[in-house]
Amino acid sequence: MGTAKAALEWHGSTLLRRVTGIVGRVVGGPVIVVRAPGQELPALAPAVEVVEDAREGRGPLQGLAAGLRAVGDRAAGAYVSSTDVPLLHPAFVRRIVGALGQDEDVVLPEIGGHPQPLAAAYRTRLLGVVEELIASDRLRPAFVFERCRVLRLSETALLTDPMLARLDPGLSSVENLNNPDDYRQARALEPPEVNVERFGTLAPESGPRRTVVAACTLGAAAAAVGLTLDEHVVAALNGDQIIRDPELPLAAGDSVAFLAADAGG
Amino acid sequence: MAKAFPGGYFGRALIVDLDTAATEVKPLPESVLRSFIGGAGLGAWLMHELCPPGIDPLEPPAPLMFVFSPLVGTPLTTSAKFAVVAKSPLTGRLTDALASSHFAIAGKLTGHDAIVLRGRCADRSVAVIDGDSVTLTPADDLWGLPAADAERRLRERMGPAWRVAAIGPAGERQVRYATISHDGRHAGRGGLGAVLGSKLCKAVVVRASRKVAPADPGAVLAAAKELRGRSFGPATAKYRELGTMANLLAFNAISTLPTRNFSAARFDEAPALGDEEVSTLRQVARNSCASCSIGCEHIYRGSGGKNTRMEYENVFALGPLCGVSDPDAVIAASGRCDELGIDTISAGGTIAWAMESAEAGLIDAPWLRFGDGDALIRAIEEIGTREGLGELLAEGSRRASRAVGQGSEAFAAHVKGLELPGYEPRTLQAMALGLAVNARGADHNRSGAYEVDLAGGHDRLTGGAPQVAGAIETEDRAAIMDSLILCKFLRGVFEDPFAEWAALLRTVTGWDVDAAELARTARRIVIAKRLFNLREGWTREEDWLPERFLTQSLELDSGRAAALTPDRLTGMVNAYYRGRGLEPTGVPEPGTLRELDLENMSQFDRGSTAIREN
Ligand code: SF4
Repeated sequence: MGTAKAALEWHGSTLLRRVTGIVGRVVGGPVIVVRAPGQELPALAPAVEVVEDAREGRGPLQGLAAGLRAVGDRAAGAYVSSTDVPLLHPAFVRRIVGALGQDEDVVLPEIGGHPQPLAAAYRTRLLGVVEELIASDRLRPAFVFERCRVLRLSETALLTDPMLARLDPGLSSVENLNNPDDYRQARALEPPEVNVERFGTLAPESGPRRTVVAACTLGAAAAAVGLTLDEHVVAALNGDQIIRDPELPLAAGDSVAFLAADAGG
Repeated sequence: MAKAFPGGYFGRALIVDLDTAATEVKPLPESVLRSFIGGAGLGAWLMHELCPPGIDPLEPPAPLMFVFSPLVGTPLTTSAKFAVVAKSPLTGRLTDALASSHFAIAGKLTGHDAIVLRGRCADRSVAVIDGDSVTLTPADDLWGLPAADAERRLRERMGPAWRVAAIGPAGERQVRYATISHDGRHAGRGGLGAVLGSKLCKAVVVRASRKVAPADPGAVLAAAKELRGRSFGPATAKYRELGTMANLLAFNAISTLPTRNFSAARFDEAPALGDEEVSTLRQVARNSCASCSIGCEHIYRGSGGKNTRMEYENVFALGPLCGVSDPDAVIAASGRCDELGIDTISAGGTIAWAMESAEAGLIDAPWLRFGDGDALIRAIEEIGTREGLGELLAEGSRRASRAVGQGSEAFAAHVKGLELPGYEPRTLQAMALGLAVNARGADHNRSGAYEVDLAGGHDRLTGGAPQVAGAIETEDRAAIMDSLILCKFLRGVFEDPFAEWAALLRTVTGWDVDAAELARTARRIVIAKRLFNLREGWTREEDWLPERFLTQSLELDSGRAAALTPDRLTGMVNAYYRGRGLEPTGVPEPGTLRELDLENMSQFDRGSTAIREN
């Protein structure tokens, strides 16, 4: 596609910034980017950590091993994603991570009959298995699945989660970009629709304080209602964290509350 | 030549014996004033000096003090404030509540940095303070009146130069969360009105008869002009334009609005009580304290035509916390609390506890149900008159739940006996710590830790080092603002608060005080309050939250659960203790006392404090 997928632009952000942001919204622990040795990356949120593949060109298991190694002492499980999934939805990540119980080593979605190893959750204790496979040049993810307990989730099984069924009914979360045409089509898509509400002094003097805007990032949602995220304005995403980062990616169905930063008595 | 006294101070406290109207002047050494400034800080020092250890706060020897500050009387915006300080009949610990306006200026210009009342009037009386002399006048015709009516009558009788701080019927009946008010503003928390009522004193009346100049009047004027300009900026816009009522819907959106006695943090009917709805229909005026350029008071008209000051805390406590969504009922309930002279937060918290207890069949009050506005108003009425269920509820949720038992203690939402303000601790976990450890009890004015949660830098659903550091920092800032005194609503205009406050204090007093000294003063004030509580029997068990918050989680719209575990709270309390230089028991380390020059205040038994086992 003429440029590394990580740096591809999508509605004012990059694919890598978007995917790390979406994953970061769901997982409780660190977000790790595995890059090829010396690979240049686009700007990332300060909390995102970057590690390098030991060797380039060894396929997804090499990256998986580097990632599991980086989080192994801080988390029992990890969501693993490719970078070229602009429609990845937090509800999908939550569904996969939530299914990783004590009895599973891997939660593997199977969509259209195809397993999705780069949209799956892994126990970090699998690192040894993955390293052994790499050492013996068995570099396909399927070899990992032969050696551990895998929970395979079909479309039907995935969509039993009402939140996922509501927010990503077509499971577009796993649609990746394999060629320039895919990228063109992805760029032609409208940004996701998000619900925005303004409170206190940020509410409009007349007209509704609640509206729906198309916005890929928090900054874009703020701009769509005439606000700037400065020291006087913060946002709460889905009634949860208070955020000031304008680059935070938004997904379809998100609710953003803009509040005066001096909320409180 | 005698050294001139620092600007802004008289260097004396007037001690009034209400048994005889005898007075005595207690000199306040400059070293004490510099160490504790005024307001809540100086009040803590005076309490150590003048409050007999172990006293029942409603017994005559217990002191009640009005404490002023060096900034009072200057043109610095929001500085016309005073602290009322006593041992709380609700908590048995130190309480200091602030109120504002002309009483602060007239009270100080009686020629005193503090006025201390002790003893008990022989009959229902008004204490009239004119310079160093005190007269007790009969208050029979005022007894039973709302504080505002008593104030009006006294000023009509005595003249407009006189300023009045008075209690309502609830104070007379020693409701344990009765207020003292002046010009409609209440020194609200902790039951100070009950203390004045226990002294058979309906009101304290003062007038200005002395003068005190700042050290550098020109510099004070320039600073006042500059500060006033800043007070019109965006940092105070919320208070000017909407008042604190604006918090209601914002807090609801982020699951921080305590609802139905803290069983939920979102109230579906909140929009009916929100600023937009209520302001459009019922807001009639704005007002401000003396010497204030912000003017945060927003006045609303109830369906009966009465005007009532409404703030977030009244509306949260009498609305969502009791499940009431009818704005007329909430405005009427708030107005009735004002007339009776009771703290709306403790009233709402105690009634919400009673509603839950009644619904669970633990108390016999079938009329008392969540969401019933008429029941809310009846409960307030009974509290103010101590009739029916009011006899129990006038004691506050801690005492009432202990009396009822049967597990109802678990949902009495208080810390140290003081009912929680409108900040849900499970979704604001820095604030959870602030509420747990503060000397006054569950309080949002002495601990502003919610600022850390709402700033966006840290996960508000977890509690760790940043939350602990933030809780300490905001508590320190509050200690200085409450001692200078400046209104908290001004806090957002200061970019480098300690340095800027030190500069203001320099111009007023002439001291060479700097930011580092003021930061140490803040720590000293916080520890001095803790030392008073220790002397009165505090143990580590009291730096804790009610069981409900530690055993029940809240579901957020995002899918996450907001849970605060005992382990996490223990960890935060331990870290707070380390950060404050306290031992694991919560007792100050000897080195901390030395560093803060507080060794002569440590009248407690180091061996008697307990450590909580979880
Ligand atoms: S901001 Fe409000 S409370 Fe503060 S001094 Fe002004 S009017 Fe009084």
